Amino acid sequence: MSEKALALVVRAIDWSETSRIATLWTRELGKVRALAKGGRRLGSNFESALDLLTVCRIVLLRKSSGSLDLLTEAQVVERFPRLRIDLAAFYAGCYIAELLADWTEDDDPHPKIFDEACAALRVLGDPPRATGLRLARFELVLLEELGYRPVFDRCAVCAAGVADNAAAAFSPSVGGMVCAKCRPGRRDSRPLGPNTRRAFQALAESDDAWRRDWPLAVQKELRLLLGEYVTYVRGRRPRLLGYVEKLSLPGHRGTPADSGGGDREPPSGQREDQAR
Amino acid sequence: MERLGAIERAIHELGKLPGIGPKTAERLTHYLLTADRSQVVALTDALRALKEAVRPCRQCFNPTEEELCRICRDPHRDSSVVCVVEQPRDLMALERTGTYRGLYHVLQGRLAPLENIGPEQLTIDALLERVRRGGIQEVIMATNPTLEGDGTALYISNLLANSGVRITRLARGIPSGGVLEFANTQMLADALEGRRAF
Repeated sequence: MSEKALALVVRAIDWSETSRIATLWTRELGKVRALAKGGRRLGSNFESALDLLTVCRIVLLRKSSGSLDLLTEAQVVERFPRLRIDLAAFYAGCYIAELLADWTEDDDPHPKIFDEACAALRVLGDPPRATGLRLARFELVLLEELGYRPVFDRCAVCAAGVADNAAAAFSPSVGGMVCAKCRPGRRDSRPLGPNTRRAFQALAESDDAWRRDWPLAVQKELRLLLGEYVTYVRGRRPRLLGYVEKLSLPGHRGTPADSGGGDREPPSGQREDQAR
Repeated sequence: MERLGAIERAIHELGKLPGIGPKTAERLTHYLLTADRSQVVALTDALRALKEAVRPCRQCFNPTEEELCRICRDPHRDSSVVCVVEQPRDLMALERTGTYRGLYHVLQGRLAPLENIGPEQLTIDALLERVRRGGIQEVIMATNPTLEGDGTALYISNLLANSGVRITRLARGIPSGGVLEFANTQMLADALEGRRAF
């Protein structure tokens, strides 16, 4: 039976001389994998719609379990031009594709995640210094939809309220903020500044909190804590997190010093230089 | 596991080649079995030479049997222009046009962060070194017009931004002989954006 859907291409690999296998994150069906016969030919029914991070309208022949679906048509609906002219936006876009491709189940639709991914891809790199924050908004929406929203309005251990300026910490293993009383013994916890806590809450609740001019130290702390939380929940460090931590920080210009390998951690001095 | 006989081994090895399924592999094996001995020996010699004699050109990384490839050795080529391509096959496609007289640089891939392919897996450092040595006035980015190809071109152009070299990229848009009505929206948008004076 054929089905139509709006899809974001999150991975595409060449399968033969002319065919491709695409991983598509659709608004209606969730993540699907499909074989596009002739998908590498320019004159095929797929035009150039199967390029990474392209939104396209697709027609899909669903197959029985265990075999790949067959993509019969794909038409470009939207591309994100800033990903091609801003290196930080390019890597951030790839990070979104990685999270969607590797962290979600097949056939589990979440229209809110789809819409949020497209909204993020539309504005990544504009303005350049907000790339990390825009990405954080996407990650928080993804975490919420998958049932892992971190707790920031109370202590995640004792559920007691924490005063705005009180000392607090963030622990990935308990899923959010821990108060000073519950922190001892939580070896994975890190200090959580009051402004960073406010930024987390604002980003989780508001569509446009990422546009605010958050201090650089807050942006840096937020990205670090969120990266650790995503790594903990997912069970392994996303491949592109290293790029994102470096490239989304203010001061990035796409120079060799700013860019580098995927899984490597940047030297701490470099991060501080960029934050300044 | 039982050791494979010569016929099974040949089918197995041929079946690993792109575009060749088990039936074609079997057909080819039986053809080779009945073919003239000299033909089969010539084929195996040619295959062995591919791996033993061919290596990347010291300058541009195009496959060659010499230190420098035919294009880099040619004194009539314009050595002030370097065209950057992803694969040797892209170089061959550009050569077939017969209009380009500059040199090339083969990256041996493109940045593909999702496949763990970063700048260190490509020949970007060698390109930077070529530019640093001087004599190059223009670098043409001829990576594929995909997101990853454009990302690779962007990465390199950032690195070369302060080198004083002119950086250009291939035009994109409607193919010659095409019809506007059937061009996709991206082609039309690219063609409009890249229009030039008559």
